[in-house]
Amino acid sequence: MRQVFRTLAYVIAVGVIFQAAVMVYAVAGLGIYIEEGGVVDAAAMEQAQAGQPMFPEEIGFMLHGMNGMMVMPVLALLLLIASFFSRVRGAWKWALGVLVLVALQIVLGLAGHSVSFLGALHGVNALILFSVALYTGWRVASRGRATREEPVGSSAGERLSS
Amino acid sequence: MSPTTARAVRPALVRRVVACAAAAAVVVPVALFWNASRLPAQYSITQMGSVEPGSGPRLPGQLAHEAHGHGTAGGAGTISVANLVEDRSGPADVSVTLTARSERVELTPGVEIDAYTVNGTTPGPTLRATQGDLVEVTFVNESVPDGATLHWHGMDVPNSADGVAGVTQDAVPAGGTFTYRFVAEDAGTYWYHSHQVSHQQVRKGLLGAVVVEPAPAAPEVVGPEVAELLRDAVDVPAVVHQFGAHRTVQGATGDTAVEVAPGQAARVRVVNSDNGALPVWVSGAPFRLLAIDGTDVHAPTEVRDQAVLVPAGGRADLLVVAPDDGTAARVELGGSAAVVVGPADARGEPTRRPAVTLDPLDYGDPASLGLDPSAATRTFEYTIGRRPGFVDGHPGMQWTINGRTFPDVPMFLVREGDVVRMTIDNRSGEAHPMHLHGHHVVVLSRDGLAATGSPWWVDSLEVGQGERYEVAFVADNPGIWMDHCHNLPHATEGLVAHLMYEGTTTPYLLGKATVNQPE
Repeated sequence: MRQVFRTLAYVIAVGVIFQAAVMVYAVAGLGIYIEEGGVVDAAAMEQAQAGQPMFPEEIGFMLHGMNGMMVMPVLALLLLIASFFSRVRGAWKWALGVLVLVALQIVLGLAGHSVSFLGALHGVNALILFSVALYTGWRVASRGRATREEPVGSSAGERLSS
Repeated sequence: MSPTTARAVRPALVRRVVACAAAAAVVVPVALFWNASRLPAQYSITQMGSVEPGSGPRLPGQLAHEAHGHGTAGGAGTISVANLVEDRSGPADVSVTLTARSERVELTPGVEIDAYTVNGTTPGPTLRATQGDLVEVTFVNESVPDGATLHWHGMDVPNSADGVAGVTQDAVPAGGTFTYRFVAEDAGTYWYHSHQVSHQQVRKGLLGAVVVEPAPAAPEVVGPEVAELLRDAVDVPAVVHQFGAHRTVQGATGDTAVEVAPGQAARVRVVNSDNGALPVWVSGAPFRLLAIDGTDVHAPTEVRDQAVLVPAGGRADLLVVAPDDGTAARVELGGSAAVVVGPADARGEPTRRPAVTLDPLDYGDPASLGLDPSAATRTFEYTIGRRPGFVDGHPGMQWTINGRTFPDVPMFLVREGDVVRMTIDNRSGEAHPMHLHGHHVVVLSRDGLAATGSPWWVDSLEVGQGERYEVAFVADNPGIWMDHCHNLPHATEGLVAHLMYEGTTTPYLLGKATVNQPE
């Protein structure tokens, strides 16, 4: 379970990288589309949301939304559950922190649709979430020895069954 | 077991139990929410949501609903939507066949798309009638795989002709036909589109315009000057639809030329068939906003350097006069397409969207509403929000209506003859073009600011984030009517409620086990 916990934490960090990448990919595509004479308004944008993108990179916006609002929260919940079984001291606190940051990230992302400054905080919070997720995974390895020195349940369990 | 081992075992066991309990505390509520959100394989819209009788007197349907938890509204004296048909019999004044087909369409040389056509084109033919005509449309679904319907967007048709799959009819399967009969009661610009898997079928072009000409011209509404211009104005239906990067007007990309002599007028009937608001402005000439959602504006004054925002599903009729100097006026449709009004070889200079957007709240002259909002017999709240949760098992940030997600959304129960006031309050972070079927609603105020212009009658109202509109209407068209967001993907995500007249039932069912998926 330690490995599962650690892997989930790293997957979340990679998820943040993915989010940043697809967003910039989409914005770059939008820039090219406009430079080439394309015009964007609400009618055109929303039609893209309905599955008919104006330019190929627009899929980046959709991926960002789906990954951010569906996949990332599920991963954060799984991380929290894994933390309970990981037998890493303080793991659940860090996992809870990741979950809170993911929730905050969604709130800021959506709030940015009406208040642009909150969109800027969405960018800042992304880096905080990335760092916390990365540290949450990294500290498992660095604290591995300390935890193993404790009279841990697995060895006790083996003794019990033998 | 030695004492040492026992001491080691107990914390291990405790730890494991605590871990399981903590995991359960996370998983169980999520699983319960997920399971509770799943829709039955088939259900009736009359069993959906919770009855909101508003502030008015209690209705029998509400009592039945309370007694049985769910149920049809009203016990004795119920009427099926299938029987809410056009009263007028006899031969139709306008009789057409509209055939829907799944086929490839060439938008512009070299650009082909998969589309749904009506009589071979998208948009389909413009249905023209004169006010008071009895219209009969034979709808043939030749090859639309999921089945299809026709909804008469903005027209107050009898409920059985409203075209909502699973509510007022079953979706017409490929090879099937369905007949719509209704009287074109109100003059104006409307449109038809499929209301089966509509987020997909409308996007792919299963739609067209409806133009109802007034029986006599109405100079008392628009004023003598405009009536004079209208007398020889060219009538231009302009269904705007976005196919990927291509904005089309009546199916054609780029500029659409409308040839008129200098000084002659064109009535450009803009229909926004997309899912977001469309800004429209005019380059090279002033214009008048003649009608909104089909209803004429009283005393439409000349407008310069302002854009008109046409909500998704909404219409705006612009009166544009070709300049006397022989140049053309351009009706800019978001800047990526235009209707060019002028002599044959004239071209206009495109302009940017003006910074100011016309506010219908104080445009034109006030006139009688034909209803007294202060004597409302029922008031409703329609508050749109957003929160994390599940809809039909799908996780995400879900739209809420009055705090609850689909299908636990309000059923606005009315009695025929009610004067209804409804407050639409958008706290969801996104704009929503709200569309009530079968009724025209009049805007009373926005954010507390009363409407002072021409009566602003709508069927598709853009409610921006943070905005609060108060509208009123008369419940004069019995049936079951959807009241939903016309950003159709939002409707699929559950931003759909309905207005229900007491004592109405429907034999049609919704759900995965049926053919009907209205959104």
